[in-house]
Amino acid sequence: MKLETLKEILKKKSSKTEFAIITNLKNGVSEIFEPGKSLSEEFENYKKYIENFFSLKKNGVIENSEIFVETYIRPIKVVVVGAVHIAQYIVDFAKSLNFEISIIDPRGYFASEQRFPDMKIINKWPDEAFKEIKTNENSALIALTHDPKIDDPALQHALNNKFYYIGALGSKKTHENRCQRLKESGFNEEQINSIHGPIGIKLGGKSAPEIALSIISQLISETYKK
Amino acid sequence: MKSSFDEKILDEAHDWASSNQKVVLATVIQTWGSSPRQVGSRMVVNEKGDFSGSVSGGCVESAVVRECIELIKENKPCKKIEFKVSNESAWEIGLACGGEIAIYLEQIN
Repeated sequence: MKLETLKEILKKKSSKTEFAIITNLKNGVSEIFEPGKSLSEEFENYKKYIENFFSLKKNGVIENSEIFVETYIRPIKVVVVGAVHIAQYIVDFAKSLNFEISIIDPRGYFASEQRFPDMKIINKWPDEAFKEIKTNENSALIALTHDPKIDDPALQHALNNKFYYIGALGSKKTHENRCQRLKESGFNEEQINSIHGPIGIKLGGKSAPEIALSIISQLISETYKK
Repeated sequence: MKSSFDEKILDEAHDWASSNQKVVLATVIQTWGSSPRQVGSRMVVNEKGDFSGSVSGGCVESAVVRECIELIKENKPCKKIEFKVSNESAWEIGLACGGEIAIYLEQIN
Protein backbone atom coordinates (compact mmCIF):
# COMPACT_ATOMS: atom_id res chain seq x y z
CA MET A 1 0.00 0.00 0.00
CA LYS A 2 1.23 3.45 -0.80
CA LEU A 3 1.75 5.84 2.10
CA GLU A 4 -0.42 8.36 0.22
CA THR A 5 -3.30 5.85 0.12
CA LEU A 6 -2.89 5.25 3.85
CA LYS A 7 -3.01 9.02 4.48
CA GLU A 8 -6.17 9.28 2.41
CA ILE A 9 -7.78 6.40 4.34
CA LEU A 10 -7.06 8.10 7.67
CA LYS A 11 -8.46 11.38 6.34
CA LYS A 12 -11.67 9.63 5.28
CA LYS A 13 -11.91 7.91 8.66
CA SER A 14 -11.58 11.17 10.59
CA SER A 15 -14.16 12.88 8.38
CA LYS A 16 -16.55 10.00 9.23
CA THR A 17 -17.11 9.05 5.61
CA GLU A 18 -18.18 5.52 4.68
CA PHE A 19 -15.82 3.88 2.20
CA ALA A 20 -14.04 0.65 1.37
CA ILE A 21 -10.39 -0.18 0.78
CA ILE A 22 -9.94 -2.49 -2.20
CA THR A 23 -6.71 -4.36 -2.74
CA ASN A 24 -5.46 -6.47 -5.61
CA LEU A 25 -3.74 -9.25 -3.66
CA LYS A 26 -1.62 -10.21 -6.67
CA ASN A 27 0.30 -6.96 -6.94
CA GLY A 28 -0.54 -5.06 -3.74
CA VAL A 29 -2.24 -2.18 -5.56
CA SER A 30 -4.95 -0.66 -3.41
CA GLU A 31 -7.44 2.13 -3.79
CA ILE A 32 -10.39 3.69 -2.03
CA PHE A 33 -13.93 2.90 -3.11
CA GLU A 34 -16.75 5.32 -2.50
CA PRO A 35 -20.27 5.01 -3.87
CA GLY A 36 -20.64 6.92 -7.11
CA LYS A 37 -16.87 7.31 -7.58
CA SER A 38 -15.32 5.70 -10.65
CA LEU A 39 -12.71 2.98 -10.20
CA SER A 40 -9.39 2.54 -11.96
CA GLU A 41 -9.07 -0.06 -14.72
CA GLU A 42 -7.52 -2.46 -12.23
CA PHE A 43 -10.82 -2.78 -10.33
CA GLU A 44 -13.49 -1.63 -12.81
CA ASN A 45 -14.53 -5.21 -13.72
CA TYR A 46 -15.30 -5.98 -10.08
CA LYS A 47 -17.40 -2.89 -9.43
CA LYS A 48 -20.65 -4.83 -9.03
CA TYR A 49 -19.11 -7.17 -6.44
CA ILE A 50 -17.40 -4.35 -4.57
CA GLU A 51 -20.69 -2.45 -4.35
CA ASN A 52 -22.34 -5.57 -2.99
CA PHE A 53 -19.71 -5.98 -0.23
CA PHE A 54 -20.05 -2.28 0.55
CA SER A 55 -23.82 -2.36 0.90
CA LEU A 56 -23.63 -5.44 3.17
CA LYS A 57 -20.82 -3.80 5.23
CA LYS A 58 -18.82 -6.94 4.60
CA ASN A 59 -15.08 -7.62 4.54
CA GLY A 60 -13.56 -10.38 2.41
CA VAL A 61 -12.10 -11.67 -0.83
CA ILE A 62 -14.42 -11.55 -3.85
CA GLU A 63 -15.10 -15.11 -4.95
CA ASN A 64 -12.89 -16.45 -7.77
CA SER A 65 -10.74 -13.35 -7.67
CA GLU A 66 -7.75 -11.87 -5.90
CA ILE A 67 -9.58 -8.73 -4.82
CA PHE A 68 -9.93 -7.99 -1.10
CA VAL A 69 -12.59 -5.57 0.09
CA GLU A 70 -12.64 -3.94 3.52
CA THR A 71 -15.58 -1.73 4.42
CA TYR A 72 -15.42 1.17 6.86
CA ILE A 73 -18.59 2.32 8.53
CA ARG A 74 -19.25 5.56 10.29
CA PRO A 75 -18.81 5.45 14.07
CA ILE A 76 -22.04 5.12 16.02
CA LYS A 77 -23.31 8.34 17.55
CA VAL A 78 -23.81 8.09 21.29
CA VAL A 79 -25.37 10.99 23.15
CA VAL A 80 -24.62 11.12 26.86
CA VAL A 81 -26.87 13.35 28.93
CA GLY A 82 -25.14 14.43 32.10
CA ALA A 83 -21.46 15.35 32.29
CA VAL A 84 -21.20 13.36 35.51
CA HIS A 85 -18.45 11.17 36.96
CA ILE A 86 -19.66 8.02 35.11
CA ALA A 87 -19.61 9.97 31.83
CA GLN A 88 -15.88 10.63 32.26
CA TYR A 89 -15.23 6.87 32.23
CA ILE A 90 -17.66 6.28 29.36
CA VAL A 91 -15.62 8.77 27.33
CA ASP A 92 -12.43 6.87 28.24
CA PHE A 93 -13.83 3.47 27.22
CA ALA A 94 -15.35 4.83 24.02
CA LYS A 95 -11.91 6.02 22.88
CA SER A 96 -10.93 2.49 21.95
CA LEU A 97 -14.32 1.66 20.40
CA ASN A 98 -16.11 2.86 17.28
CA PHE A 99 -18.41 5.26 19.17
CA GLU A 100 -18.61 8.99 18.67
CA ILE A 101 -19.67 10.56 21.96
CA SER A 102 -21.49 13.87 22.41
CA ILE A 103 -22.25 15.13 25.90
CA ILE A 104 -25.19 17.33 26.81
CA ASP A 105 -25.42 19.08 30.15
CA PRO A 106 -27.06 22.43 30.80
CA ARG A 107 -25.25 22.72 34.15
CA GLY A 108 -22.06 24.68 33.48
CA TYR A 109 -20.17 23.41 36.53
CA PHE A 110 -20.45 19.81 35.28
CA ALA A 111 -19.80 20.54 31.62
CA SER A 112 -16.36 22.03 32.13
CA GLU A 113 -13.41 21.58 29.80
CA GLN A 114 -11.21 20.70 32.73
CA ARG A 115 -13.40 17.65 33.51
CA PHE A 116 -13.65 16.61 29.87
CA PRO A 117 -10.51 17.66 28.00
CA ASP A 118 -10.78 17.48 24.18
CA MET A 119 -14.49 16.73 24.36
CA LYS A 120 -17.25 18.75 22.81
CA ILE A 121 -19.85 19.35 25.49
CA ILE A 122 -23.10 21.01 24.57
CA ASN A 123 -23.90 23.25 27.51
CA LYS A 124 -27.62 23.58 26.72
CA TRP A 125 -30.92 21.97 27.64
CA PRO A 126 -31.62 18.78 25.62
CA ASP A 127 -34.30 20.33 23.38
CA GLU A 128 -31.83 22.99 22.23
CA ALA A 129 -28.80 20.69 22.23
CA PHE A 130 -30.39 18.10 19.93
CA LYS A 131 -30.70 20.78 17.25
CA GLU A 132 -26.90 20.63 17.03
CA ILE A 133 -26.62 16.83 16.78
CA LYS A 134 -27.95 14.91 13.82
CA THR A 135 -29.50 11.73 15.17
CA ASN A 136 -31.49 8.82 13.73
CA GLU A 137 -32.27 5.14 14.35
CA ASN A 138 -28.52 4.41 14.41
CA SER A 139 -27.98 6.65 17.41
CA ALA A 140 -27.83 5.76 21.10
CA LEU A 141 -28.75 7.67 24.25
CA ILE A 142 -27.28 7.28 27.71
CA ALA A 143 -29.18 9.40 30.23
CA LEU A 144 -27.20 9.86 33.44
CA THR A 145 -28.54 12.85 35.37
CA HIS A 146 -31.63 11.11 36.87
CA ASP A 147 -33.06 14.60 37.01
CA PRO A 148 -36.38 14.48 35.15
CA LYS A 149 -35.98 18.07 33.97
CA ILE A 150 -32.86 17.08 32.03
CA ASP A 151 -33.30 13.35 31.29
CA ASP A 152 -36.96 13.31 30.27
CA PRO A 153 -36.76 15.66 27.25
CA ALA A 154 -33.73 13.68 26.03
CA LEU A 155 -35.55 10.35 26.46
CA GLN A 156 -38.54 11.75 24.57
CA HIS A 157 -36.30 12.90 21.73
CA ALA A 158 -34.63 9.47 21.57
CA LEU A 159 -37.99 7.64 21.56
CA ASN A 160 -39.44 9.92 18.89
CA ASN A 161 -36.35 9.44 16.72
CA LYS A 162 -36.28 5.66 17.28
CA PHE A 163 -32.77 5.42 18.74
CA TYR A 164 -31.62 1.77 18.70
CA TYR A 165 -30.35 2.03 22.26
CA ILE A 166 -31.81 4.11 25.07
CA GLY A 167 -30.62 3.67 28.63
CA ALA A 168 -31.37 5.66 31.75
CA LEU A 169 -29.54 5.65 35.09
CA GLY A 170 -31.53 5.37 38.29
CA SER A 171 -32.94 2.87 40.76
CA LYS A 172 -35.93 0.65 39.98
CA LYS A 173 -38.13 3.12 41.82
CA THR A 174 -36.73 6.08 39.88
CA HIS A 175 -37.29 4.17 36.68
CA GLU A 176 -40.89 3.31 37.59
CA ASN A 177 -41.61 6.99 38.14
CA ARG A 178 -39.90 7.84 34.88
CA CYS A 179 -42.01 5.28 32.99
CA GLN A 180 -45.14 6.73 34.54
CA ARG A 181 -44.22 10.25 33.39
CA LEU A 182 -43.51 9.03 29.86
CA LYS A 183 -46.85 7.22 29.83
CA GLU A 184 -48.59 10.42 30.83
CA SER A 185 -46.76 12.20 28.02
CA GLY A 186 -48.36 9.78 25.55
CA PHE A 187 -45.67 7.16 24.94
CA ASN A 188 -46.92 3.60 24.57
CA GLU A 189 -45.83 0.53 26.51
CA GLU A 190 -43.62 -0.83 23.75
CA GLN A 191 -41.72 2.44 23.53
CA ILE A 192 -41.32 2.71 27.30
CA ASN A 193 -40.19 -0.92 27.60
CA SER A 194 -37.47 -0.31 25.01
CA ILE A 195 -35.67 1.90 27.55
CA HIS A 196 -32.95 0.06 29.45
CA GLY A 197 -33.60 1.06 33.02
CA PRO A 198 -31.92 0.66 35.39
CA ILE A 199 -29.17 1.04 32.80
CA GLY A 200 -26.33 -1.44 32.21
CA ILE A 201 -25.78 -5.17 32.47
CA LYS A 202 -25.48 -6.71 35.92
CA LEU A 203 -21.80 -6.78 36.83
CA GLY A 204 -22.28 -6.13 40.52
CA GLY A 205 -19.90 -3.16 40.56
CA LYS A 206 -20.78 0.07 42.27
CA SER A 207 -17.94 2.46 41.41
CA ALA A 208 -18.18 5.00 38.58
CA PRO A 209 -15.79 3.12 36.22
CA GLU A 210 -17.59 -0.17 36.95
CA ILE A 211 -20.99 1.34 36.14
CA ALA A 212 -19.53 2.94 33.00
CA LEU A 213 -18.21 -0.48 31.95
CA SER A 214 -21.59 -2.11 32.53
CA ILE A 215 -23.27 0.59 30.40
CA ILE A 216 -20.73 0.30 27.58
CA SER A 217 -21.10 -3.51 27.68
CA GLN A 218 -24.86 -3.24 27.26
CA LEU A 219 -24.40 -0.72 24.45
CA ILE A 220 -22.04 -3.05 22.58
CA SER A 221 -24.37 -6.00 23.07
CA GLU A 222 -27.33 -4.03 21.67
CA THR A 223 -25.17 -2.70 18.82
CA TYR A 224 -24.48 -6.25 17.62
CA LYS A 225 -28.18 -7.13 17.80
CA LYS A 226 -28.94 -4.47 15.20
CA MET B 1 -24.04 -4.24 12.32
CA LYS B 2 -21.22 -6.22 10.76
CA SER B 3 -18.13 -4.07 10.69
CA SER B 4 -15.63 -4.49 13.48
CA PHE B 5 -14.85 -1.84 16.03
CA ASP B 6 -12.02 0.47 15.10
CA GLU B 7 -8.61 -0.54 16.39
CA LYS B 8 -6.45 2.35 15.20
CA ILE B 9 -3.79 0.04 13.73
CA LEU B 10 -3.78 2.05 10.51
CA ASP B 11 -3.01 5.19 12.52
CA GLU B 12 -0.01 3.45 14.03
CA ALA B 13 1.10 2.16 10.62
CA HIS B 14 0.94 5.72 9.36
CA ASP B 15 2.94 7.10 12.30
CA TRP B 16 5.64 4.47 11.93
CA ALA B 17 5.89 4.80 8.15
CA SER B 18 5.98 8.60 8.41
CA SER B 19 8.97 8.40 10.74
CA ASN B 20 10.93 6.62 8.00
CA GLN B 21 10.54 3.13 9.38
CA LYS B 22 10.07 0.22 7.03
CA VAL B 23 6.59 -1.02 7.79
CA VAL B 24 4.49 -4.03 6.83
CA LEU B 25 0.74 -4.32 7.34
CA ALA B 26 -0.59 -7.83 7.98
CA THR B 27 -4.33 -8.26 7.42
CA VAL B 28 -6.58 -11.29 7.95
CA ILE B 29 -8.25 -11.69 4.54
CA GLN B 30 -9.92 -15.11 4.87
CA THR B 31 -10.89 -17.46 7.66
CA TRP B 32 -12.21 -21.04 7.63
CA GLY B 33 -13.75 -22.78 10.61
CA SER B 34 -13.14 -21.43 14.07
CA SER B 35 -10.60 -18.62 14.02
CA PRO B 36 -9.88 -16.13 16.77
CA ARG B 37 -9.90 -12.89 14.79
CA GLN B 38 -12.28 -11.81 12.07
CA VAL B 39 -11.50 -10.78 8.50
CA GLY B 40 -10.02 -7.27 8.46
CA SER B 41 -8.07 -7.73 11.74
CA ARG B 42 -4.63 -6.19 11.49
CA MET B 43 -1.10 -6.06 12.73
CA VAL B 44 1.61 -3.58 11.88
CA VAL B 45 5.25 -4.71 11.99
CA ASN B 46 8.50 -2.77 11.50
CA GLU B 47 11.95 -3.93 10.39
CA LYS B 48 13.11 -4.39 13.99
CA GLY B 49 10.19 -6.72 14.72
CA ASP B 50 8.22 -4.26 16.87
CA PHE B 51 4.55 -4.91 16.33
CA SER B 52 1.10 -3.71 17.31
CA GLY B 53 -2.34 -5.24 16.83
CA SER B 54 -3.18 -8.90 16.23
CA VAL B 55 -4.25 -11.41 13.60
CA SER B 56 -4.96 -14.31 15.97
CA GLY B 57 -5.17 -14.86 19.69
CA GLY B 58 -1.38 -14.87 19.95
CA CYS B 59 -1.03 -18.20 18.12
CA VAL B 60 0.66 -17.08 14.92
CA GLU B 61 1.90 -13.55 15.61
CA SER B 62 5.56 -14.57 16.07
CA ALA B 63 5.57 -16.28 12.67
CA VAL B 64 3.86 -13.29 11.07
CA VAL B 65 6.52 -10.95 12.48
CA ARG B 66 9.26 -13.17 10.97
CA GLU B 67 7.51 -13.20 7.59
CA CYS B 68 7.14 -9.42 7.67
CA ILE B 69 10.83 -8.87 8.43
CA GLU B 70 11.69 -11.19 5.54
CA LEU B 71 9.41 -9.25 3.21
CA ILE B 72 11.27 -6.05 4.14
CA LYS B 73 14.69 -7.72 3.68
CA GLU B 74 13.74 -9.09 0.26
CA ASN B 75 12.02 -5.78 -0.53
CA LYS B 76 8.92 -7.47 -1.92
CA PRO B 77 5.67 -5.49 -2.12
CA CYS B 78 3.29 -8.17 -0.85
CA LYS B 79 2.78 -11.82 0.05
CA LYS B 80 -0.06 -14.10 1.15
CA ILE B 81 0.50 -16.63 3.93
CA GLU B 82 -1.79 -19.27 5.41
CA PHE B 83 -1.94 -21.00 8.77
CA LYS B 84 -3.72 -24.26 9.49
CA VAL B 85 -4.57 -26.24 12.56
CA SER B 86 -1.53 -26.97 14.70
CA ASN B 87 -0.23 -30.23 16.04
CA GLU B 88 0.26 -29.27 19.65
CA SER B 89 2.86 -31.92 20.42
CA ALA B 90 5.11 -30.73 17.60
CA TRP B 91 5.29 -27.10 18.77
CA GLU B 92 4.67 -25.93 15.27
CA ILE B 93 3.09 -22.61 14.51
CA GLY B 94 -0.62 -22.93 13.92
CA LEU B 95 -4.05 -22.31 15.32
CA ALA B 96 -4.94 -24.39 18.34
CA CYS B 97 -8.61 -23.58 17.81
CA GLY B 98 -8.77 -25.73 14.70
CA GLY B 99 -9.42 -22.96 12.22
CA GLU B 100 -7.48 -21.74 9.22
CA ILE B 101 -6.58 -18.19 8.30
CA ALA B 102 -5.08 -16.42 5.30
CA ILE B 103 -3.05 -13.30 6.03
CA TYR B 104 -1.96 -10.72 3.51
CA LEU B 105 1.31 -8.89 4.07
CA GLU B 106 2.02 -5.62 2.31
CA GLN B 107 4.77 -3.06 2.62
CA ILE B 108 3.87 0.58 3.04
CA ASN B 109 5.91 2.57 0.57
